[in-house]
Amino acid sequence: MGNGADYESIRFDRSGQAEAFDAIGDRYDEAFPHKEGQLSAGEWLIDSLPAGARVLDLGCGTGVPTTRQMTDAGFEVVGIDLSRRMVQLAREYVPAATFHQLDIADLRPGGPHDLGRFDAVAAFFSLLMLPRVEIPLALQTIRHLLVPGGLFVLSMVEADVDNYAIPFLGNTIRVSGYVLEDLHKVIEAGGFEIVKEASYTYAPAVADVPPEEQVFLCCRRHD
Amino acid sequence: MTEHPTPQGPRVTRTPQPPPPHGRRAEGRGSQSQTRSRSQSQDPVPDSTPEPAPDRGGEQTDRLQYLDVATRRIARGMDLDETLRELRRAAVPAFADAIIVHLHDPLPVGDEKSAAPVVLQLHSVSRKPEAPATSGAPLLKSRPLHSDIAERVRPDTAGRLSKLLLTGRPAFGDAPGIAPAVAELLGPLAGVPEAIPPGRRLIIAPLHGRRHVMGTVVLLRRPERSPFTRDDLLVASQLATHTAIGVQKAVMYGHEASVADTLQHTMLPSSLPEPTGIRLASRYLPASKTAQVGGDWYDAIPLPGNRVALIVGDVMGHSMTSAAIMGQLRTIVQTLAGLDLPPDEVLHHLDEQAQRLGSDHIATCLYAIYDPISHRLLIANAGHPPAVLLHPDGHGEVLRVPPAAPIGVGGVDFESVEMHAPTGATLLLYTDGLVESRDTDVGTGVEALRTSLRAVASGRAAPSLEPLCDHILGTMVPGSRDDDIALLTARFEGFPPDSVGYWHLDPHPLTAGQARRLTRRALRRWGLESMLDSTELMVSEVVTNAVRFASRPIALRLLRTDVLRCEVTDDSSQVPRMRQAQPGDEGGRGLFLVDQLAQRWGATRLSTGKVVWFEQQIPKKQRPPDHHRP
Repeated sequence: MGNGADYESIRFDRSGQAEAFDAIGDRYDEAFPHKEGQLSAGEWLIDSLPAGARVLDLGCGTGVPTTRQMTDAGFEVVGIDLSRRMVQLAREYVPAATFHQLDIADLRPGGPHDLGRFDAVAAFFSLLMLPRVEIPLALQTIRHLLVPGGLFVLSMVEADVDNYAIPFLGNTIRVSGYVLEDLHKVIEAGGFEIVKEASYTYAPAVADVPPEEQVFLCCRRHD
Repeated sequence: MTEHPTPQGPRVTRTPQPPPPHGRRAEGRGSQSQTRSRSQSQDPVPDSTPEPAPDRGGEQTDRLQYLDVATRRIARGMDLDETLRELRRAAVPAFADAIIVHLHDPLPVGDEKSAAPVVLQLHSVSRKPEAPATSGAPLLKSRPLHSDIAERVRPDTAGRLSKLLLTGRPAFGDAPGIAPAVAELLGPLAGVPEAIPPGRRLIIAPLHGRRHVMGTVVLLRRPERSPFTRDDLLVASQLATHTAIGVQKAVMYGHEASVADTLQHTMLPSSLPEPTGIRLASRYLPASKTAQVGGDWYDAIPLPGNRVALIVGDVMGHSMTSAAIMGQLRTIVQTLAGLDLPPDEVLHHLDEQAQRLGSDHIATCLYAIYDPISHRLLIANAGHPPAVLLHPDGHGEVLRVPPAAPIGVGGVDFESVEMHAPTGATLLLYTDGLVESRDTDVGTGVEALRTSLRAVASGRAAPSLEPLCDHILGTMVPGSRDDDIALLTARFEGFPPDSVGYWHLDPHPLTAGQARRLTRRALRRWGLESMLDSTELMVSEVVTNAVRFASRPIALRLLRTDVLRCEVTDDSSQVPRMRQAQPGDEGGRGLFLVDQLAQRWGATRLSTGKVVWFEQQIPKKQRPPDHHRP
């Protein structure tokens, strides 16, 4: 998967994605008010990490609930998001954390930004914003950002689509997904061991986003 | 209309007040007939006796004046009973001492010839009160009267009565061959000695409409009164002719009203759907005046994903045209709803189509979509009174949706408004007849509706919908309405997300296999292992079909209630049809299989492609507990 692809050969324009989330802003949390799955994956991190651990919230959105949950747990949390507006909201909602408006590609090995190493990375509903060809590269980056044995929690929406344009809260975003069995393969091929898994059917509280199968995976960097 | 237009049984009346006898000056100003203006130019002859006056000229004038008044009164009747009452009052006592009316049953409508044999049903009998001094033979003496007169007569097709009915001309009782006809009509009474007076004291007159026999009239005089003359036979003929026309008119009028009523009712839903996640109840009340057909309608249409479209509309005006336009608009809305368009687009296209029906048809319409899974409501409004959302605590929230211009105006920008649809709340859609009248404006009416709702819904569990509808109509609707009323109520019950599966799948050669795996996993989670084989097979077939035509990801949706419903949506508008697979056919067998295995299935074109769905009954023990209806 992703064989031969690297950041030098593919550069996707993600400005449309960022603009959509700039426009969506707070409505994201209104449309997805129930975050039990996400919180419970966060609990696993809290239970597994030592005090004062460094955590990266990849695609942190408004910082709610994960950046806040991690910060409240006493971790040193850094959040990044592609959307300027989301970063702005996150700084407001979770002042104790550090936020950067960055693309995950900016953090690649040898990339323009280096935020150091982390004990854990959380990527809730953020990798699905990438085209499939980039997902192995993103996993490679996450592996690079983690200390040996570091933890990785992520969530995806179960689907078999690649860079598929869907209407989303009055905007259009592009999403990718895998059916569960394929997702396992992609994650394991990226150098992670899946420790725990949960899935839920989630009905967003909006008329234009259909119910979705949400998958939460708790993983460990395989060394 | 005060009385039923069809004869249901004989009506026996005693005329309390004699109508103006012939010779008395005509009252009323309605008619300006030649006869009347001539007769009025002369002084009426005061008349204290029903006997014809000796002066021939005066007698003729009296007759004409009498006829003038009598026919005008008969013609004035709007319904059957009124027409015949006027005939009886005109005839008794001024012209005869008793009258017996039979009507064809059923009364013929229109000009079609009926093959059914003639049946005459006794409609009414009227007679002059007997003066105490009169010692003569009592006319129609036996009591109770109607028990002595045959109530239903089936004239012998070869008999005298049939012959008389065919000629259409009145005859004296003593004319050659008439006695058997009278005997046939009056049955036992004709056999009672002295019941039929001697001499020319009986006239039998057929009531003949344009094409059909409508009935008969028998006029009787007492033995002590002078017999009928030849001129009286002409008078009787006139009375019979006008009565027959009146009866025919009443029948046509009644028929028109019932056609209008039937038209209206056939164009409203005969029953409401019962989708999971919502309960529905409705009422329709026509306006008080029967012939006032309204253009109100309502509808509830299931959409993919267990959503439901809820519609209420009102075509302006009260006429057969309003009802006909309503029927067409309702069909258009159903078609548009089937395409699964958002509310504003449904109204937009409805507006476009309405203008093609004619330039002067204006209608209001409110279109809502309830999604029980996301608990959302989408509403757009074309000039209709606002919907009211009754919350479980009794609070009636007037839903603020921009009330754009009505349907038929053209070029209107409709807007869909999205809102939360809490479980337990009730949406009320209604037409203006409920909240508006000559004395009440819409705003006041809506306030009254909210008060009425507060009274019934606060304090305890929300009332069931049927009593709620009854309560609303009971408190809001006056006895006499100038407008028709449609009311549609929808209780939101929600749909648990854990009974839903939803996936987007790219179309490629492996998609059917993926869909099968996802289905298997969902069915195992729901404990529906017994349905695995059939469901997997059908999902695989339907997905295979979808993948052949799709250019974008297809959607697989599983919904679990008392039935397991599978929906496969793709972006190709080509709707598959079931056909027997030919040897060498790659596809096509799919739907045949689905047709064999599924309880129900269907394919619907959507604005964005199509959905193919099928349903299987879930065995009782494996159904989710929350979804059995009491």
